[in-house]
Amino acid sequence: MSSLSALVNVHEKGQFGDFEGKDDKNLLSITESTNLLIVQIVQYKSSSLSLDNMQIDGLNLRDNPSLVSSNDSTRILWNGPRNWLLVSNKHDLLKEIEQKFNENEFAVTDISHSKAIIEIEGKEAKEILKKGCPFNFGELEKNQCLNSTYNGMSVTIDMLNDDPDKFRIFGLRSFGESLYHSITDASLEFGYIAK
Amino acid sequence: MLHIKCPHCGMRSQNEFSYGGDATVKRPELNKEVIDQEWDNFVYNRVSPRGKHLELWQHLSGCRQWIKVERDTATHEIFNTYKANEEIA
Repeated sequence: MSSLSALVNVHEKGQFGDFEGKDDKNLLSITESTNLLIVQIVQYKSSSLSLDNMQIDGLNLRDNPSLVSSNDSTRILWNGPRNWLLVSNKHDLLKEIEQKFNENEFAVTDISHSKAIIEIEGKEAKEILKKGCPFNFGELEKNQCLNSTYNGMSVTIDMLNDDPDKFRIFGLRSFGESLYHSITDASLEFGYIAK
Repeated sequence: MLHIKCPHCGMRSQNEFSYGGDATVKRPELNKEVIDQEWDNFVYNRVSPRGKHLELWQHLSGCRQWIKVERDTATHEIFNTYKANEEIA
């Protein structure tokens, strides 16, 4: 069975906005991330299990606000107290997670197909986010994440890199197209390449 | 626009929160005989104070946790925020 990405109907490749006369290398880029494993892990309030020895792909679940634990293939985002979002390109991790995290202590939910994911990269990336999101992006650093809203739509934003700034924006799949239009509209001023 | 310090996430915009009502209302004790007036007070009757007031808010577009916010209803100044299960002296 083939699957359609959330933004297949709107994500058109090419250069848009005020891109003329600008170096392609410095231009803001917008891509859709597809084929990622996304798992929500929630530890029940009644659970007193220590997380110190619980690892997924060599990464610990850490209950530190805004923190992202990461390696080359997997990122674990803090989503709230005892609540994490695992994002990985290793799809076989799901079995490992289900084995390690027993259902009496954790709720594990595969939400891979319920998210639209947009990646933006470039030195103006924070400016794009500031246009629709009330968070103070001046204080956000690499490997930090947040939940907030973008033009009224709930989003999770993960800062992947800071040289240049690179963000992954997760929105509900049903809001994907609206979110994409919001992000691309905000980017027109700077010019962007959709890859 | 208010800025509310979520005890879990830090300072965030009011846009991310949803108001949840009076945080001082206490449910009548379980297994205790309750008169109608007590139920009315718990379910319906609310005071509308001018000044400091303890309120429930949910960080709906953030960590999704309920929190308590001590706010001045006249000036909107926020004095303190607490986790939902925190006892306040």
